Amino acid sequence: MNTLKKYPGWVIAGSMVGLLAFLWILAIPLSWAPEPIGPAAQQFSEGARTTVELTVISGFFGILLGIFAGLGKLSSIPPLRWLCDFYVWLIRGTPLLLQILFVWLIAPAVLSPAIELSDFACAAIALALNVGAYNTECVRAGILAVPHGQIEAARALGLSPMQTFIDITLPQSMRVALPALANNLASLVKDSSLAYAISVVELTMVGYRVQAESYKPIPVFITIAIIYLILTTAFTSLTSALEAKLDVGRKR
Amino acid sequence: MNDQLLKPIIEARDVEKHFGNFCALKKVSATFYEGQVTAIVGPSGSGKSTFLRTLNRLEQHDGGTISVDGIELNENMKNLDAVRREVGMVFQNFNLFSHLNILRNVTLAPMRVRGASKLEAEAKALALLERVGLKDQAAKYPVQLSGGQQQRVAIARALAMDPKVLLFDEPTSALDPEMVNEVLIVMRELAHTGITMLVVTHEMGFAREVADRVIFFDHGEILEDAAPDEFFNRPKHERTTAFLAQVRHGF
Repeated sequence: MNTLKKYPGWVIAGSMVGLLAFLWILAIPLSWAPEPIGPAAQQFSEGARTTVELTVISGFFGILLGIFAGLGKLSSIPPLRWLCDFYVWLIRGTPLLLQILFVWLIAPAVLSPAIELSDFACAAIALALNVGAYNTECVRAGILAVPHGQIEAARALGLSPMQTFIDITLPQSMRVALPALANNLASLVKDSSLAYAISVVELTMVGYRVQAESYKPIPVFITIAIIYLILTTAFTSLTSALEAKLDVGRKR
Repeated sequence: MNDQLLKPIIEARDVEKHFGNFCALKKVSATFYEGQVTAIVGPSGSGKSTFLRTLNRLEQHDGGTISVDGIELNENMKNLDAVRREVGMVFQNFNLFSHLNILRNVTLAPMRVRGASKLEAEAKALALLERVGLKDQAAKYPVQLSGGQQQRVAIARALAMDPKVLLFDEPTSALDPEMVNEVLIVMRELAHTGITMLVVTHEMGFAREVADRVIFFDHGEILEDAAPDEFFNRPKHERTTAFLAQVRHGF
């Protein structure tokens, strides 16, 4: 914990490098494992990579969505507020599995035939929409937590509303919002497993396949559980290092 | 001081401000001149801070006109930006940007608003911090500084924009007593540089010794507007006399 507080920059770099290295070499230690893991090492490794890709892509767009919708909820324009309220209400009120299936089924119908969305893209869109709705509330709370005097000071110095938001409100609100956003990201790592429903070959799907072929579900599920644990550990140490980095100058 | 020779920089005419049914400012008119140091005093809730805050539109007036350096303050955002570049403000609670270190606090606005380069802005910020005696604290964060030090940084931050006017909203009211002086010393020094200052304050000693002019607010109106000597020794209004008696005797 202490290294994290002292050198957050190193922990961020370390957990990113660690995560990449883990994905890169995962197949090697797995191939040493006995049946049924060893022969399927390559599949596990590719599944883990897909899981991370899904998490990173939908996590990134989920944050953007959260910021826009969080701002929208605080907007002085009523229709914009209603739209954002509706979005959060809809997503939080329906199961994620349903949302993934819905995007997958509706995409071919609403998009022009020239654009063909892959299963992966459908899953990424649904996950981004889902985590975005949860992020919205965190971002909104974060923005509300910025003392009004900070904004007044920026405006009195002549900063425009946009500059005030970018330089003052956003970084200060992130200090408050980040722990909750990190929580959502950790959930996202695991939620991405529901993409198996639309046949995205991510980690859980690989597990299903391997156990179906080998009839040995216990070692297979223990293996994917361990891989998930390693992934979430990497993601959470990344976010807590970010937290420590943003925590400077905060009152206690 | 002869008002005829001075150039008006802020002109407020019949300024009104309501909060719901409460009338905070009742047709307040005043002209402030370049280089003048004005102390604005009065009981709490008299409208003195509200008036000060209307002058850079942190509070929107709902009647009358205000012009700063010939630019009228109204709905026009361009006018507002132009005015805010010329008018610096120092707040009661300092309002230093808590996520930025002292140096970044001072360099942010010149870089963003004036388009200064990082190098220029930092050189200037360090010179200003030296002037308020805090050059060695440049790398620290606001929480690591005492209240008096934070307020001196806030003054340096406002000065970094080269404002023509500096507004002080009760700059020493949130400070521990032993820190009031270090801020007043900086303000006194500033007063002698010829910058226009409007200071809402409870520090009567400062008003008496440093100000060129004292304005007394009560119930949203200006009751008295005089030179310090006249204000403190020969007040015209009985409310002023009562206020001064209160302040002098304290408890």
